[in-house]
Order: sequence, then C-alpha cells, then structure tokens
Amino acid sequence: MSAIILSAWLTRVTGAQTTAKPLPPDHAERMAKGLVLFEQTVAGLLTQHCVKCHGGEKTRGDFDLATREGLLKGGESGPAVTPFDVDASPLLKLITHEDEPKMPAEAAKLPDAAIQQIRVWIEHGAPYDKPLIAGKKPPRDGSVVTDADRQWWAFQPLKTVTPPKHVEIPAQGNDVDRFILAKAKEHGLTLPPRADARRLLRRATFDLHGIPPTPEELAAFQVDQSSGAWNTVVTRLLDGPQYGERWARHWLDVARFAESAGFEHDYDRPGAWAYRDFVIKALNADMPFQQFTHWQLAGDELAPEDPLALSATGFLGAGVFPTQITANEVERTRYDALDDMLSTTSSAFLGLTVGCARCHDHKFDPIPTRDYYRMLSTFTTTVRSNIDVELDPQKSQLEQQTWETALAPLTNAVQQRETQLQPAFDTWLKAGAETASEPTWTVLELNELKSQAGAKFTRQPDGSYLASGPNGNSDVYTATVSTKLRKLTGLRLEALADPSMPQKGPGRAANGNFGLSRITVRAGQVGGELKPVALVKPQVTFEQNNSSLSIAASLDDNPSTGWAVDPQFGKDHAAVFTFGEPIDFKDGTQLTVTLEFQVNSQHNIGRPRFEVITDVEPSLNAGTLPMAVAELLQKRKIGGELSDTERKTLFDWWKTRDADWRTGQAKVDDHLSKRPKTTTEILICGEGYKPMRHHSQGADFFEQTHILDRGSTDRKRDVATQSFLQVLMPGGDEHRWKATPPEGAKFSGRRTAMARWLTDVEHGAGALTARVIVNRLWQHHFGTGLVSTPNDFGQTGTKPSHPELLDWLAAELIRHDWKLKPIHRLLMTSATYQQATARSDSDANDAAVALFLRREPQRLEGESLRDSLLAISGKLDRTMYGPGTKDERSPRRSIYFTMKRSQLIGSMVVFDQPEPLVSQGSRPVTTVAPQALLLMNGAQVREWAETLARHVETEANSATDFSPAIQRVFAIALNRPPTGDEFRGALTFLESETASYVRDGHATPRTMALADLCQVIFALNEFAYVD
Amino acid sequence: MNLLMSTETARVLMANSTMNTKMHPSLWTRREWLQRSGGGCGWLALASMLAQQQSTSAAGTLNPLAPKHPHFAAKAKSVIWIFMNGGPSHVDTWDYRPELVKRDGQTLADFDNKTGFFPDAVGGLMKSPFEWKQHGGSGTWAPDLFPHLSQHVDKMAFIHSCYTNSNNHSPALFMMNTGVTRMGNPCVGSWITYGLGSESDSLPSFMVMSDPLNRGLPKGNALNWGAGFLPSVYQGTWLKPQGEPIDNLKPPAVLSNDRQRAQLDLLAAFNKEHLQQSAAESELAARIESFELAFRMQAAAPEALDITREPEQIQKQYGVDQKHCTHFATQCLRARRLVERGVRFVQIYSGGMENQQSWDCHADLVGNHRGFALEADQPIAALLGDLAQQGLLDSTLVIWAGEFGRLPVAQKGAKPGRDHNPHAFTVWMAGGGMKGGTHYGETDDIGMRAAVNKVSVRDFHATILAALGLDHERLIFPFQGLDQRLTGVEPARAVREVFA
Repeated sequence: MSAIILSAWLTRVTGAQTTAKPLPPDHAERMAKGLVLFEQTVAGLLTQHCVKCHGGEKTRGDFDLATREGLLKGGESGPAVTPFDVDASPLLKLITHEDEPKMPAEAAKLPDAAIQQIRVWIEHGAPYDKPLIAGKKPPRDGSVVTDADRQWWAFQPLKTVTPPKHVEIPAQGNDVDRFILAKAKEHGLTLPPRADARRLLRRATFDLHGIPPTPEELAAFQVDQSSGAWNTVVTRLLDGPQYGERWARHWLDVARFAESAGFEHDYDRPGAWAYRDFVIKALNADMPFQQFTHWQLAGDELAPEDPLALSATGFLGAGVFPTQITANEVERTRYDALDDMLSTTSSAFLGLTVGCARCHDHKFDPIPTRDYYRMLSTFTTTVRSNIDVELDPQKSQLEQQTWETALAPLTNAVQQRETQLQPAFDTWLKAGAETASEPTWTVLELNELKSQAGAKFTRQPDGSYLASGPNGNSDVYTATVSTKLRKLTGLRLEALADPSMPQKGPGRAANGNFGLSRITVRAGQVGGELKPVALVKPQVTFEQNNSSLSIAASLDDNPSTGWAVDPQFGKDHAAVFTFGEPIDFKDGTQLTVTLEFQVNSQHNIGRPRFEVITDVEPSLNAGTLPMAVAELLQKRKIGGELSDTERKTLFDWWKTRDADWRTGQAKVDDHLSKRPKTTTEILICGEGYKPMRHHSQGADFFEQTHILDRGSTDRKRDVATQSFLQVLMPGGDEHRWKATPPEGAKFSGRRTAMARWLTDVEHGAGALTARVIVNRLWQHHFGTGLVSTPNDFGQTGTKPSHPELLDWLAAELIRHDWKLKPIHRLLMTSATYQQATARSDSDANDAAVALFLRREPQRLEGESLRDSLLAISGKLDRTMYGPGTKDERSPRRSIYFTMKRSQLIGSMVVFDQPEPLVSQGSRPVTTVAPQALLLMNGAQVREWAETLARHVETEANSATDFSPAIQRVFAIALNRPPTGDEFRGALTFLESETASYVRDGHATPRTMALADLCQVIFALNEFAYVD
Repeated sequence: MNLLMSTETARVLMANSTMNTKMHPSLWTRREWLQRSGGGCGWLALASMLAQQQSTSAAGTLNPLAPKHPHFAAKAKSVIWIFMNGGPSHVDTWDYRPELVKRDGQTLADFDNKTGFFPDAVGGLMKSPFEWKQHGGSGTWAPDLFPHLSQHVDKMAFIHSCYTNSNNHSPALFMMNTGVTRMGNPCVGSWITYGLGSESDSLPSFMVMSDPLNRGLPKGNALNWGAGFLPSVYQGTWLKPQGEPIDNLKPPAVLSNDRQRAQLDLLAAFNKEHLQQSAAESELAARIESFELAFRMQAAAPEALDITREPEQIQKQYGVDQKHCTHFATQCLRARRLVERGVRFVQIYSGGMENQQSWDCHADLVGNHRGFALEADQPIAALLGDLAQQGLLDSTLVIWAGEFGRLPVAQKGAKPGRDHNPHAFTVWMAGGGMKGGTHYGETDDIGMRAAVNKVSVRDFHATILAALGLDHERLIFPFQGLDQRLTGVEPARAVREVFA
C-alpha cells in the first residue's frame, strides 16, 4: 500500500463529508490502520456476507456497499456508516441484532470476533482499497444535474433535419417516407405495396372517426380517380366532428380523466364533463398544441373570461382525492393531490416519470428530489372548484326570452282568479271565518334561530329557514319562539330539501345527508323559567336504519348516533314528537328547540322548519297553517277586527283553498321552476376559487410547499420556491418564464410560468413537449410510436427508432404553429401509412414491423368496437357534448359515458379501457373470454343485431330470398361482398336458424335468423381487427 | 385466451431484460418477446425467463392465465381471504389482554386523541366485555364470540403484531389490499393471479363476494379488487349479490343453446377463412378459442356457484339453513367449490360499508361484534373443517384479516364502542402450509401497539406470497419506468416463523 493511494481516498472522504463533524486529528494514521484491516479481514467479511444482496446480485433496500461511496451514502433508511463514529453507524446495530432488520438477512449472526473487526474498521474511518466488486463504479449523485445528463437524446435541442434527398419515394408518398426508406435501405428492406381502396378507407375512417365508412363513402372514394382522391378523404375525415370524439379519447387516457373523486364514497364531480368537451372542441378546432397545453395548466389565469379555457383546467383536477380525511392525513393527502397534478403533467407533456423523485433523487433520469418539490410548488394554492359559467350566452338569452313570454299569461290568469274570489272572501270573513275541523300543524315564526358554528339562516316563504355560510364539522342550532297558542301537544321538525344543498339536501353534508345526534325542547311562560319537555313517541317519514341512525337515537345521549336519511336525498323529511305533557300557558308560551349535529362531520340540516300542534294527538302527515294565520283566525273567532294588512295576510292564505286558484298557481310555479339556467356548473382547477370540500378534518390546502425528506410530511425541509427541471433549463434561470399576475388577481401566475416553460422550444422543455405529442400522433396512426414508450422518454424508456424523423416532425409541428391536423395529414398521406397489412411470422418480419415497413392489423379499442356496432346498426345517436350517462344502453358514442371510478362501464373495461388513476400512454390489448361473452350474450349487442336485421330486411326485401340481405350486411359491416364460401355458409345458416325459430313458433323467424347472422358478423376477427 | 401486453410494456421489458444481448432493443417485437418469455407471462421472473422455456401450444403460450410455476416449492395453491371489513377489535377477538381487566376505566396517559377517528369521544381503558377461555392443544385464548371457530384454533397461525399506515377505512383497506394507502395499485389477488395464472380454464381466476344484505360495499368499492396497472385480465370478478352474479353469462332469451352453437360454428368457419388469408397468427387463433372458452364458462360458472348441489349435511355444517348466517354460509361454501375447481383467489367480505354495517364498532361493541360473529363464526369454522375433510386445506391458504384494529380505550357513548387503531391488529392464517396453533408477535400489555416482532402490511403481503411460492422481490411488473411490486420499495420480510 502506498501513501499516494491513501491520500487519494482521504480526499474523497473529505469531499463526501460536507455536513458531518470535523475529522479526528489523527485520521490519517487511523485510516492507514483501517485499510490494513480492510484488506486482511473486513473486505472478506463484507464479500462473504453482505455484497451479494447489497450491490451484487441484488441491491436490497437500495443499499450498495460495493464501493465506499455507496457504503457512506447508505440506502433507503439513510447513511449506513459514519467514518470514525461507531455510534452514528446504524449498520453496526443491524449486525449486532440490536435493531431491525437483523443482518445478514435470514442467516446466522456473524461471530462476535467478526463484528468486532468491523467495529474497529469503522472507528478507523472505514476505508476501502478498491471496490468489493471489480470495476464497480460509485453510485451516481442524483442530486446534481450535469451537462453530461443533458446529453440524453430527449433533452437535446431539436436537430435541424432535412429529409434524406437521395431516397426515392413512391408517387403516393411524401417526406416522411424518405426517413423510413433511408432506414429501410440500411436494413435491406423495402416498403410493401399500397393497400387497396377498401382497406385504406376503412383504416383511415376507423383511425380518425372510430367507426367504419358507409358503403356510399366507399363507392365515392372508389370512383374518384383524381390524383387528390386520398387527400380529399383525409381532409373530409379531419374536418368531421367525429375526429375530435375519437382522438379526445386517446388524450383522456393520458389525462387519467374521470368524473368522480374515487376512494371511499367516490362522489360524483358535477360538471367534470366540461373538460372532456374542451378536449373534443379543441381538437376539432385544431387548437395549437401550445395553447392546448397552456389552457390545461392555466386557462383560468390566461383567459379567465373564456368558459372553454376554464373547462380546460379540469385536466389538473381529474385525479383521485379522498372524500374522508382524518386530521392525521390532511397534509399527506394534500401532497398526494399535488403529486397527482405534477406526475400527470410531466407524463402527459414531457413523457417523464417525475413522480419517481418524490422520495429520492430519480434512479435513472436526472431529476433530483429538489427539482421535484420546486416544480410541485407550482400547484401549492391550486384547488378544485365548481363554478357557474355561461357556456353559450347567445343560446341562453334566447331561451330566457321564450320563457318570459310564456310566463305572462299564466300570472295574469292567477290575478284574474284572485279578483273573482274577493267577494266570497269578504262574505266568509263576515260570517265568522270558520275553518274546517281537521287538525293542522302551525308553522312557527321563530324569534331567533342560532347556529353555534356560525351558519346564517334566511326565512323562506313557507316558514322554513335556509342555512348558508359556515357548515361546521359539528353544530348546535337553537330555535326560540313565543306563541299565544294554547295546549301544545307536539312538535314537528321538518328537514326540507333545497336545490342549494349537495344532492338537494336535506343535509349539508357532501352527500346531502344529516345526522341529528340530539333534539331537546324547553318550555315555560313568556318571561318565566324554561323547563325541559319530555319528547315521546317519535315518528318519522324515513330513517336510515332502525338503530344507530334512527330517530330514537336522536333522543339518547350518544353523540355519534342519531337520525339520518341516506339514501333518500333530495326529498323532504319530517320527525314528530309528542310532548310528555301538553304545554299550556295562558299568557303565551316560550319555547326553545335545540338540535345537535355530531353524528358525522358537517352533517347539519340545511333547511329546518318547526311546527307545533294543539289539542290533539300529533300525527305525522297533518297539514300546516302558518302561525300568523292561526293567530288571526283565533283573533277573528273571538270577534276582533282585522286591519287591512291582516285581511291581506288572511286572504293570501284563504285563496289557497280554492281549487281553481291552486291549479293556476301550480302552472305558474311549474313554469317558474323551469326558468332556463343561463349558467352551467363546471369543474375547474385554479387559485382563489372556493375549494371543493370533502369530509376533511383539516385545511384544503397550505400556503407553502416544503421539500420533504423521503416524501414524508413528518420530515419537512426548506420551503420550495418554484422552478423546473434543471435538465430542461440549461440557462438555469427560472425567472425567464415568470408571469406577473395583474393587480388584484386571485392567482399566483405560477401555472402560467410552468406552461410557458413547457412550450419554450429555445430555452425550456418545448422541444421535448413537441417530440412527445408528435410521437403520440404517430403511435395512434401506426400502432406503435417512434418512441415505443410514449409516456417514458427517459432512460427506462426506449430510444426512437427514427430519431431524425421524430425531430423533423416536431419541427414541422412548431412550423405549423403547433397545429395537429397538418401533422395528421402528413402522416396519413405518406406511403408508409398507406401500405398493405401483413402479419409477422418471422424474426425478419418483426424487424420490418419495428421499422414500420410491415403493418400489422390493429385491434379496435372498446369504444370504437361499440361505436361501430351502434353505427352499422343505425342506432348511433350523434348528439355531442354535455353531461354523460352511466347507462350502458345509451346510443351515444362511448366517449359520453360518465367515467365514475367505482362504476366504470363494464363493456369498456372488458376491452382494456384503463382505470383512470394515473396517466396511461398506451393500452394493453387482451383477448379474454368475457369479451366473447359480451358479444355472444350482451343485451345491447343482441338489440343492435336485431335492429340491423330489421333494417336490412326492409332495405333488401328478404321476405323470400336472403341473398340481398346477406350482401347488404357484408357491405355495411365489412365494406365488401361475401366470398362464395361465406355466402353459401350464411345462406345455409339462415335457413336452418329460420327453421329452428319456426319450430319454436317465433313470430318473426326470418328477422331473428338474420339477427343471429348479424351477431356472427359483429364477432368476426375481421371486424375486430382493422387492416 | 390470449394476452398481448401493450407494446409499451413489452418494449420496456425488452429494454430491461435484453439490453446486453441485443444491439437495438426497439427491434424486438411482441412475438419474438413472447417466444422468448416461454409461459406467456414469464416476464414476472426475468432471470429465469430464458431458462424456463416451456413448449406449449400457440394458444397456451399466449394465455395470460395459463398456470405458471411459482418461484420456489410451496404448499398453498389457492387463497380464500375472509376480509373482516371495518376492522374488528383485536383485543376482543384473538388478542387476549388481561391487563385491560386490571386497568378497566383508567385514563390512558399520553394518549394522542387523533389516533382514532373521533377525537372528542375518547374514554378510559375498557376491558373486553366477552368471556375468554383457552382452547385446543395450543391453549389459544378466544372469546365466547367464536364457539365454532375456537374448535379450530390448532389450525390457525396467528400474527398478533400487525400494524398499518392509516387510521381511516378507505386508505387502510387499500393498504391491506394493494400495499399502498392511495388508490390504484393492483391488489393481492391480482398479483397472485398474475404470478401463478389460473388452474381453471372455464372460471374466472379471482373472485370476490361482498355483503349480500344491502349493507354496502367495502369503502373504495371495486378498487379493492382492481388490477391497477396490471392488465385488466387480472382484476377480481365481483359476484354481484343481486341478479346474475356475472355479466353476460346467460345468452339472450331468444338464443337457445342449439342456435348459439350454430352461431359459434359459423363464426369459427368465417374466422378460419379469414385466418387462412393472413399468415398463421396466434393472436387471431386465440381470439377464436376465446369464444369456445366463453361457451364453456356459461355452463361452468353457474354450476360452481350452485351450492344446492352439495349434500344437505354439508350445507347444514356451514349453516345454510340458519337464518342468521345463510348468506355467509352460502359464500363460504361457494368459496370451497371455487378453489376445488381451480380458482386461484377468492375474497369474501364480512360486513358491509362502515359503522354498524360492518365490524366497525364505534358504538355498542357488544352488539356489533356479537352480531357479526354470529354471521361468520359457524360458516368459517365449517369451511376450515370441510377443506380439511376434502383434503384441500393443505393447498388452500385461508386468511382472516381486516384493515386495522381497535383502541384499548372506549369510544364514549350510551353503549361504548372502540375507535380505529392503526398501530395493532391480529390476523390469522390456516391451511396452505401454515403451522397451526402458532402465535407470532405481541402487542403491548393493553393491545395499544404492536410491540414484539412487529409485522408491517408489506411483511404480511410478503408472507402470503411466500406461502404460495412467490418471492415478493421477484414478482415484478414494469410500469412507469420501474419494476413495480406488491411490497413496494421499502424492505419487507416474509414471516416464515408461521410456516410449518
């Protein structure tokens, strides 16, 4: 051992120990001794017992001790050894079995002598003379980004590329083919011939519209002999609205789009569909991808007045979020939500797995944890919110006018009836104002209704009190009232529905429920002492169960049980209690009713109404009388004179007893309730909006994002200030993209800054963003991307098969103002796209497939398969946009299915629609029995088959001869006539099926037989795979 | 049946596995990969992938559910996980803590009232209200809640020192089922089906039964049996408690068996003609075969679920005739019929959503636990007995576990309950190579925290995998640039101490 080597090691030790305590003064001597120890025994011990699992065959716990750097760096649980300091070397505690996990794992403890050797070696600085495994390099320091890291192809600026000129391309081709054919030449391969017109048109139509062409469209293409015929087809398809519906679905996978919160309750997110509509509209309008990116991240900052820009921010809010969050989980779930936004953004636009850097520096890509948190801080104050916007002002104005015009005659009719009624009212009043004798509840006009948590109450015309403002985690309402009524026998508490509440109430909880843990009543003479009133014989319109959530449970002392009404939401509910003794005070009664809500968080009644009844046994369903009317009637009964105001009050009540008045008023009310909404509730994500609140025991967001150690909120480090991936900002100055919000703005501008960085080709990530999106276009036109891992352009992804082509396409995108349609056109008018298909059956062919010189048929995605069956059976409803449906029977395109995470549409999931949880760049293609079962037995499939059968039967007049019908079915579904064998097979089948239906006495045997055939056609491989 | 994984996945895999042997990984293709990978899903064990060439038919090669070899020899072939939904109280079921009797009513010093869900309802320590006795040769303590199960304690291996990462149902359910508290990772059943395939060619390989008494689904619903980033073929098939248990299993009324058979024959004829035009292609051939399999499944699944085919005496053992447990007895008996027919993984949920709908005993511990024990005790005991009788217990791992435990302190109320406790709970496993009558790990004196030989949920998952011969570090799936595994990146250890 020479002194030179030793000093080399020492230099590194010093370098690695920036934060540790100073080295002992005798460290050089000690290191020298330590090195001897290492060579003689310790290296052998570590090699024999440790390195196999920690740096050799495996790297368990992310701990690699093959090099000294690795040993000092440690693994998942932090540094393993501190040189010269045994107490600060956790490794020792593991081998002495003082701590878990005991080491070596699943083997005997090391002999004491060996442990002692290692201890002494650590005391002597734990030096190595060479790595334990020959040639092993020290681990990369992931916290630093270097110029070497920027050499990775995806982080390079776009190369200036010209299509190889020396290559000869077919007449039907374009510059794309030059790249493909240049590569072909290198491998001695050629481009297959052009596909026939039928296959070409089917390919393009499925590709851009997701449904097959009609026989008429095929005929038109076949007769068009002009040189621009193919171009015409591509243009027609790109201009069709179905283009947006088809391609939006690809992006929605990337955006992990769904319309519910996920987790325990999976609450619906009202207006979340607005984001889906944004994507369709943006694609159809050929919105530049730059703007498409900007609006999804910061539409609220960039175009706050444009409903479409606001809808676009649904991108950030589409992820999952728990609906029940305990105090201990508040911070962690907020970081989870931020992570979802950042991970999805970086997968979607950059094709990078930035989320990996949440707990540690990225293992493969130059993404330090610090970069992660600095980027994460972009979203610190961004929240999900529901807002009302006017999606189509012109349309809503027109609707409003029509509605108002229709209202006038209805109100006139009611006024007319009131004039007619006036004389009869006067007569009735003079005669003593007798009322019918049925018992009625008197609606109490409260002196006061107070909420402990600060809710505000507004009295409604029907005597109920509508709550607004703070909705406390728990609350106590106290109602006080004085009344002159005598002999009060019971109380009715109503919990009324109201459109202002979630699910229309009657509770203010996010699901519309309430939980009344306790109700108490106190009464006394006005001005006197109030005493508790016993409540007995509770009755109720509905209770959630008959134990813990029953009305009886509202009378016990347990705060966690009480009356609740799940799932009867959006309806009025009532509970009635009989007073133990009637309450009767000559000079007026004072009552207080106390309602306590502690059963569940925020489960407070949103629109209570309080009523009392006199003289009789309380009953649940008796009618009501307003308190003012009841008192006036009493006054009139004892001969009192009424003032004009009092007469008016009484008339307003009296007229409601007239059937004609009621009919007229009902029409008015009905019309009023149908006032066209000028605004639509949509889901957005932004800053300064009212956060969508779940059952959380803490804040919705925090003002700062911290850098976290190992991703744990228990280990907060510095506050993270906004920046971006260092590897994609070579200038290093994040202020370049800074957006200063206008005076008084509610937002920070941070998302705008990120959006600018993402699309800045020169200084930011724009080159990568452009590469990633053109690769996605290529992927969906050719089955595989030029980079076959569309969501991973990092080290663990694959490199582009044609890097120059990728850069050239990215440059073309930018040259076309980031518009996608020119790129679609470019790809589709290439000879490479138009080649005939062939399946691969050899390694040589596989190589051709990988180079896009052999095109394999592509399986239809679930949406396309279903939409196609709807289309050919003539059932497809082409209505675009607006709220979706969960009903599988819907005849609209599959993109309009509501994506509720707990109730995904079975027929979509079975055909590989991914779970909308994280960004998905491509779908797996599976072939499993449930798919076959769906096509054989699915109720809708059968219905479509029968519809097509009837349709074809009429069209082709198959009353006596099936031949025309067979021809027509093949033409509609497959755009070709049957072969001779197919025709004969179909005919024989139809005849025997018909005979079978006749035997069973079926009413329409020929139609059913035809439907059986249609179902067979639906299930064909040829139908499921597009050439 | 045939699975062609996404090209992305395949290429990642190629990149990972063959970088050294192939000059340009992107030149690898799906078919080439499939040939190399042998048993269809051989990508789970990349190291052994090339060595373990299996020669099977084309369709077999492509079948993602074809049975696969485990990583090492093991007894358990299938799993029945009885999920005690809502989190039963360990100190009132299998973790006997006499200290609680002594300290009944005392305030627990330094208790963090955010441990459970209701910080404002924390009471004093509360002894178990049930009668406890020792049972079996192992002398296992059990409460009088389980008169039937207590006769089988010598078949059970207990882990008393489990702990989890959340005090809230939904995250804790995800943790227990998928290994993370967030949504969206594949569940244990999916991983196991992915790792081992199915032994049945006419039944779904992973089935789930939830509460049929209208008390709701476990919180988080279907995500508890979702396949996450694994191909959807590995997700659990949920047997709907009402109506037809499996979608599209019954042909439309108008299609008699003969007519449907004629359809499938015509379909096969047309498909074959089409196949001859293209080069021989296993993907298309597999799709043809999938229709035949579907046809078989139509008959096989209803047969497997029909418990009336069992002798009356067996039905009685399970308690099918007892009103209080008919539903659960039916589910347990179905579970046995399913594993007998080669189904890999069955999960049954005891209880519905939360609170009084499940073992979530916030109020009225006595009423709650007596009620759910009455439903589950006899059927589970009969299942253990029946499996043993039929010679299936050795190859079937039966798991009894919920998402967390309960606090030793009372949750205040007219009838006291117990609040959530993430720091300690007990699970037991029987059959499938377990050492019956063992007790591994301990909680502290009052059952507040796991104290001795602590077992994380990751450890528990590693243990289940090991019982089936799967190494949790080798059962991997490449996704988002990482080799994902059930036990994640943190260390995990199979508790082999409970293995026979």
